[in-house]
Amino acid sequence: MHSDTVQRIVIVGGGTSGWMAGAALAKLLPKRCHVHLIESETIGIVGVGEATLPHIRAFNERLGIKEADFMSWTRATFKLGIEFRDWGRIGDSYIHPFGTFGRGNSDVPFHHYWARMAQAGVSLGSLDDYSMACTIARQNRFAAPTTDMASLSSTFGYAYQFDAVMFAPYLRAMAEGLGAVRTEGKVVSIEQNSETGDITAVVLEGGKRIEGDLFIDCSGFRSLLLGEALAEPFEDWSRWLPTDRAAAMPCHTETDVTPYTSAIAMPAGWRWRIPLQHRTGNGYVFSSNFISEDEACHAISHVVEGKPLADPRILRFKAGRRRRSWVKNCIAVGLASGFLEPLESTSIYLVQAAITALLELFPDKNIEPSDRDEFNRVIDLEYDRIRDFLILHYHATDRDDSDFWNYVRTMPIPDSLGEKLQLFRKRGRVVKYREGVFLDASWVAVYLGQRIMPAGYDARADLPGNGELMQSMEHLRHEIAGMSASLPGHGAFIEQYCPMKMPA
Amino acid sequence: MKIDRVVVAGGGITGWSTAAALKQRLPWLHVTIIATPPAPDALVDRMSSTLPSILGFHADLGLRDDDTILRTQSSFRLGTCFSGWARDPASYIHAYGPYGQPFGTASFHQHWVRAAHLGTAKPFDTHSPAAMLGNAGRFAMPQNDSALGEFEYGLHIDPPAYAAMMRAFALHKGVIEVRGDTVGNVQLRAEDGFIAAVANVTGDLFIDCTGLQAALRSSIDSEWQGWDAWLTCDRIVIAEELASSHPSPLDHVVAHDAGWYWRAGRPGTVSNGCVFASAAMAEPPSGATSFAQGTRPQPWARNCIAVGDAATVVEPLEWSNLHLVHSAIDRIVEMLPDRDCAPIELADYNRQTVAEAERVRDFVILHYAVSDRPEPFWQTAQSMALPASLTHTLTQFRARGRLPFYEEETFSRDSWLAVLLGQGTIPARNDPLIEAVAPEQSDKAMAVYRKSVSDAVARQPTQAQFLSAFSRQFAQ
Repeated sequence: MHSDTVQRIVIVGGGTSGWMAGAALAKLLPKRCHVHLIESETIGIVGVGEATLPHIRAFNERLGIKEADFMSWTRATFKLGIEFRDWGRIGDSYIHPFGTFGRGNSDVPFHHYWARMAQAGVSLGSLDDYSMACTIARQNRFAAPTTDMASLSSTFGYAYQFDAVMFAPYLRAMAEGLGAVRTEGKVVSIEQNSETGDITAVVLEGGKRIEGDLFIDCSGFRSLLLGEALAEPFEDWSRWLPTDRAAAMPCHTETDVTPYTSAIAMPAGWRWRIPLQHRTGNGYVFSSNFISEDEACHAISHVVEGKPLADPRILRFKAGRRRRSWVKNCIAVGLASGFLEPLESTSIYLVQAAITALLELFPDKNIEPSDRDEFNRVIDLEYDRIRDFLILHYHATDRDDSDFWNYVRTMPIPDSLGEKLQLFRKRGRVVKYREGVFLDASWVAVYLGQRIMPAGYDARADLPGNGELMQSMEHLRHEIAGMSASLPGHGAFIEQYCPMKMPA
Repeated sequence: MKIDRVVVAGGGITGWSTAAALKQRLPWLHVTIIATPPAPDALVDRMSSTLPSILGFHADLGLRDDDTILRTQSSFRLGTCFSGWARDPASYIHAYGPYGQPFGTASFHQHWVRAAHLGTAKPFDTHSPAAMLGNAGRFAMPQNDSALGEFEYGLHIDPPAYAAMMRAFALHKGVIEVRGDTVGNVQLRAEDGFIAAVANVTGDLFIDCTGLQAALRSSIDSEWQGWDAWLTCDRIVIAEELASSHPSPLDHVVAHDAGWYWRAGRPGTVSNGCVFASAAMAEPPSGATSFAQGTRPQPWARNCIAVGDAATVVEPLEWSNLHLVHSAIDRIVEMLPDRDCAPIELADYNRQTVAEAERVRDFVILHYAVSDRPEPFWQTAQSMALPASLTHTLTQFRARGRLPFYEEETFSRDSWLAVLLGQGTIPARNDPLIEAVAPEQSDKAMAVYRKSVSDAVARQPTQAQFLSAFSRQFAQ
C-alpha cells in the first residue's frame, strides 16, 4: 500500500525554511514522504529572522523539540515582545507585547477604560504598565506563563530570539535521523514535463539529476523553481513598504540581554536589535531611494552598542509576494514565496504557516486543484494581513524629519488598512477577525503606541464610576508591577534553564 | 454626542429581549418600547426550540433559571433528530457539543472517516454525549471529569410565556412601555433622513423589531437580498397540542416531498409544524403563513437597526432565528456609536451581521444540498448552484474532510460534521496525518469512548425526573 502513496519530496535549499519543511514532513508524514534536500554550502543563508513569534513554540512542540535543549543549541533568549523606539515621534517608546492588556478576561477590552480615563484628562501611566508582558520586559525579567486563567500570570506569551544559523543544523540532525537525505550541490537546471509543465527533476552542477513528485522551493529570494522555472509573477508592494536593503552587523552585548527585540526608527528606515546569549544582532533596514548603502553601513557602525563582530553586510530585497505560492507541483516556502521586512518578526512565522498549510493539505500524487487553491487562499490571507499591519507602523507617525518619513506618512495606503484606521480613530475598535496572526492586542499596542488616539470608546466602559475605575486600574498596575518584580532576572533564568552549550 | 434615548418598536420576544438587554447592560439609556403585538409572520416569536446561546443571553441579563425555565414552563433540549433526509443512514442526531475526543495527530472525525472507508465505523452520532443522552430521553447538566463533560443544551420555550417573562423583566429594569396595535407614523428628519420619531416618540436610535414588514427600517430603504434561489420553502404551519407524555430532549425533524415536519415537546405541550415550498407541495395544509427567505444587506442604516425577522428571514430548520436576535443585541451593545451613527461603525456592524446570517444560510442549505431524496423538490436542491462560500466548504470537505474556517460562524465544526457525516457525505480521501495511528488503534479508541459515553448516560435521570428535581431545588 505504501509504495503508491509515498512521494519523493525534493526540497531545494537548506537554511531555516528548507530544514523546517524537511523536519516537519519527515516527522509528521513519514509514510507519505521520502524527503530529499539539496543545499549548497557555497550559497550562504540569509539568516535574518532571528526573532520569532510565539507560534514557533507550537511548531517545536509538534516536532517533539525540547525547549531547553533547542534554546541552548541555538544560543537563544526569551522574547516577550518588540520595543518600538522613535516611531510615532522621536523619543517615543512602546512595547508590542505577546499578551493582553489588563486581565484579559473582561468583555470590554482594557484599552477602552484606559482611553476613557485619558479622555477625561486623568493620567494613569502608559498602557504598557497594564500589560504583564510589557512590564516583565521593561524589568528585564522572565518566567514562563501559567495556565491559570484567573491569574495575571497567564496573560502573556513568549517567543525566542535565536541564532538562525544554528537552527538549521539542529533541524537537519533531526530530519536526517528520521530518514531525510541531504545532497550537497548547486541546482543548475530544472526539467519540466513538456505537457503539464510539472517539474520532474532538478539537475545539479556536475550533472547529477534528482527526480521528484513534489518540489519545495526554499531557494530564498532567487525563487529558483517558482519564480524562475515556473515564472510565477511577483506582486510588488514596495510602494507601501519602500525599504529594500538591510545592513546587518552583529556586535558584542554590552548592555542587558533584554527579553525583547528592539526596532528603532532611523532617518531612512529602522534598525533591529536582537540580543542572543553570545552576541547582539543589529541591522539597519533602509530604502535605497533615500540613502546609499555606504551611508547605511556607516550609520549602523556608529550606533551598535558594543564591539562589532563583523563588517556590515548588505542584504537586498523587495517587499511583496509571488501571486501564488503553490503552482503545479511546486510549493514555495519562505523567501522564495515572498518577503516582508522583519519589523514584526514574521519571516519564520510565514515559513511555519506554509508548512502547516501543506501538512493539512498534503496532496496525492495526482494533485487535486482544490488542495492547491485552498493552500494559496490561506497563504494570501496571511500575507495580506501582515502587510497591512506593517504599513501601519510607517504610516501612523508624526515624524517629518526626513524625506523617508515624509513619504511614508503621506503615502496612499490600502483601503483595507484605511478602514481599520478609521474605525480605531472613531471608536477604539479593532476590526475583528480570528484568522490571521496579529490579534486585537497587537493592533491596539501599535495604534496607541504611535499616537492614534480614538475619539470615542466602547459604551460599556462607562459602567464603573470614576473613582471605582481609577482605583481598580491603580490596583491592577501595582499588582502587575509587584508580580513582575518577583520573577527572576532574564539572564539568571537562562543561566539555570538553557545556557548555551559552548562559547561562541 | 452620546446616545441617550433608544426606541424599540415591536412587542414580541425580539422587541422585549432587545429592550431588556439594552437597559440592563447600558443602564443609563432611556429605553422606550412601542409594544405592538408580534406579527403573525415573525418566525422568531413562534418557534419554541432555541440554541444553547440562549443561556448565555440570560446570564448576561442576570436572569436566573427559575425565571427563565421553571416559570415559563420550559424544558431542556439537546439537539435534533433528523429523519428521511438521506437514505443511509435514515436518521441522525445533530446535538450540541463535541463529537468524539481528539487523539493522535489529527482531529477525531478523520479517524471516523477512515473507519467509514474500511467499513468499521459506528454511526457518527454515537460519539456525541449530548446525542446519546437525548436519545435515551435523559437529561443532566454537563459534569466535569466525565464523558458528559462538555456538551451544551438549549431550551424549549413557550413563546407567549417567554415574551411575558421578558416583558416583566424589562419593565422591572425601567423600560417604558407604550402600547398600541400598530407602530404608527414614522417621521424622518428633513436634513439627514434620520428617524426623528415614531408615533410621536422621539429618540436617538430606533430598533426595528416589527417582523417582516420592518415598519421603521423600510422607511429608509427596502433593499433585500433574497435567498429563494437556494431556499425555496416559503410556507409554515404551526399547531400546538396538549401532551401528557414527558417531553423528549430531542426535536424530531422529518423530511417530506416538499419540505419538512417537526415535532418538539415541552412540559404539557407538543409543538408540531410543517415547512414547505408552496410550488412543490401537492396538498398544502391549510392555515399556512407565508414568508420569503433572505436578508437585508444593511440591517443598520442611519439611526435605525432592523433586528429579527425585520433583518433576516431564514426557515427555522436549525432553530437559529432567536440566536440571530441575541447575536444582534450583543453586537449593538458592543458597538453602540454616538448619535451621528458614523458610517464606518455601521459598516462594521453590517459586515459582521450579514456574514453571520449568510453562514447560517449556508448551514441550512447544506441539509438540502447533501440529501439524496428522489422527489423533484429535492433533486433541484441537490443540483442547484450553491453560494460560493458553501461550495468552498463542500469542495474541501468532500475532497479530504477539511472544514475551512469562516468568521462569524454560528454552528461549530462538530455541528457541520454532524450534518455532513450524518447525511452520508464521506470525504474521498483520508487525512494523511492520521497514518501515525493504525486503524485498529482508532477503532479501539472509538469503542472505548462510546462505552464511556453510554455508561455515563445510563446513570443520568430522565428529563422528567431532572425537571422535577430542578424545581424542588428552587422551591427550597
